[in-house]
Amino acid sequence: MVSAKLHKAKDPQEESAAELAREIKPGETILDLVHVCRDFDKVRVIKDVSLQIRKNEFFTLVGPSGSGKTTILKMLAGMDQPTSGDIVLGGKSISTVPPDKRPTCMVFQFLALFPHMSVGENIEFPMKVKGIPGDKRCERAYELMQLVSLPESYYKKNVMKCSGGERQRVAIARALAYDPEILLFDEPLSAIDAKLRKTLQKELKELHARSGKTFIYITHSLEEAMYMSDRVGVLCNGVLKQVGTPSEIYNHPVSRFVASFIGDTNIFEVHMSSSGRWEASDFPGMDIKLEPRGDRLEGYLVVRPENLRVIDDGAVPADNVIDCKVRNAYSMGSRIQYQLISGKKEIMLELTPRHDHGIKPGDNVRLGWNAQDAIFVDE
Amino acid sequence: MEYTKQGKHTAEFIWIWTIIVLGFIYLPVVCDGISSLSKGRYFSFPIKRWALDWWVKTASSMEIGEIVRNSLLIAFAVTILSTVIGFCGALAFARFNWKGRKLFQKLILLPVFFPQPVLGLALLLLFNTFGITLSWHTAVFAHLIWITPVVTLVIAIQVYGFDPTLEVAAKDLGASRFRIFREITLPLLWPGIWSGMLFAFLLSWGNFSLSLYTTGVDNTVPKWLYTKMIAGYTPMVPTLGTMSTLVAAAVMILGGLCVWAVRRKQGRN
Repeated sequence: MVSAKLHKAKDPQEESAAELAREIKPGETILDLVHVCRDFDKVRVIKDVSLQIRKNEFFTLVGPSGSGKTTILKMLAGMDQPTSGDIVLGGKSISTVPPDKRPTCMVFQFLALFPHMSVGENIEFPMKVKGIPGDKRCERAYELMQLVSLPESYYKKNVMKCSGGERQRVAIARALAYDPEILLFDEPLSAIDAKLRKTLQKELKELHARSGKTFIYITHSLEEAMYMSDRVGVLCNGVLKQVGTPSEIYNHPVSRFVASFIGDTNIFEVHMSSSGRWEASDFPGMDIKLEPRGDRLEGYLVVRPENLRVIDDGAVPADNVIDCKVRNAYSMGSRIQYQLISGKKEIMLELTPRHDHGIKPGDNVRLGWNAQDAIFVDE
Repeated sequence: MEYTKQGKHTAEFIWIWTIIVLGFIYLPVVCDGISSLSKGRYFSFPIKRWALDWWVKTASSMEIGEIVRNSLLIAFAVTILSTVIGFCGALAFARFNWKGRKLFQKLILLPVFFPQPVLGLALLLLFNTFGITLSWHTAVFAHLIWITPVVTLVIAIQVYGFDPTLEVAAKDLGASRFRIFREITLPLLWPGIWSGMLFAFLLSWGNFSLSLYTTGVDNTVPKWLYTKMIAGYTPMVPTLGTMSTLVAAAVMILGGLCVWAVRRKQGRN
């Protein structure tokens, strides 16, 4: 009877969008952003973003602050609307459907838990709104608490007395209680200390698998994005630069921006000289060997710090070799990062402590890389 | 050792000082109470014969009953009206960003600084101009002008501490506007609303200057006390004064208990 009442209350069009989304098979497109643009005071902050999200995937939008990721998330949640373009869920446009009528639910950056309610009341809130009777609500709340690994005794606990990690779980359980097709996450881990963050990232990934929902997550940390996601979209100044799996993003970045977003990396500007050889402006006179680039005449070479090798006596020769002077060494536990200088160009090198060749600040070393270890990007 | 000794002296001094200040504050109230317990017709110390005569007389007086009723009616009406208006004003004051908010914040404060007798006289002239007969109704209007800004400010303090994201989250979880207001906004602003109501009631109950000009033939407790003081003193004056203080204290304790109960229910304490 309750569900019949619910059906009547909903707009038929909105309901069919939710229903159609429910029938989509995992792996197929559930959410489609079609040339989405958003202007604020005549300034375009989201520039023609087109993107397909697949059902049941963990998708992360990553970008520096001001890149427009929160704006996109708000449009997905219904708190904002695109200036042009369309957002399609399960084959139906939802661009103008308000947040309370969408099968999406957001986990907020600062969680937005209701401070005057207990853990149980928080989780039951969306079910109460839907008109689900008390005993059913309570039963489901306990199920959800188990799903997010909250002890049963927390049901009556005041939500403000929970720790940061526990609150996180309450917020996720509350969002799941709404039974959305898509869960949206607005950097919920950014305010949590590093150690706990790692644990929660793991938990979130496991929870994604257990819940069988589609997760859309935003963060400014590509590391966090790669750690958890099935696919990642890199956003810069409102433009979606690249979409791919974490390994695609890492190994085949399309631009310097994407390549350097993950962390420190070496980028050399290269161009074809008149004699038909590749040269780098940072290393004048040196003949750069790289994999065939077709008809390209200029571009950038990305060499990851861990892909550089120390070329000392008896080492296997490399395609490209540069002479450097070591300036600093930074231990990162399992790795050591070196800051070197070659001519005027700063070079980053990463080694494991067991294969550090005994180099220390002040030393002169030769570094080399093979053609296939470098990534060529156009911009 | 020297340090703790000094610390002990400081603590002693603070205690003595606090007791002296509290003594000064409450001495008049206590004297008022004592003088109401005298059997004599005139106000004189030391009291020769103690009696509850004047309490009985005051409690059974028709005239006193009438003015207490008036004062209560005005105070309740002012409490309800100023809280409703003040609540909306507080949301505009602290919650929403709109053009002219800064100006509004200053304008709303201004009536608090009007000298009350001047405001009362001005209102009296206004009512006369429009030919409105003065009664406790007009006094409610006068009180509102002065008390609503105070209530607005008191509630605004609570609104400043309210996180609007909670409303967005509730909406995202499917709640209607009415449900959000009833289950999220109102419960979280409730302590502020209570404080506002208390302020409104007590400020209206004790108000003299505005009532003097705007009640017309209806009398209120402060107005009656004043008139009896300047002409025709009776020990009913200190008696009613004490009663009035006790009622105010009771209202405050009751209000405090309500806030405490709400907090306890929300599990904050």
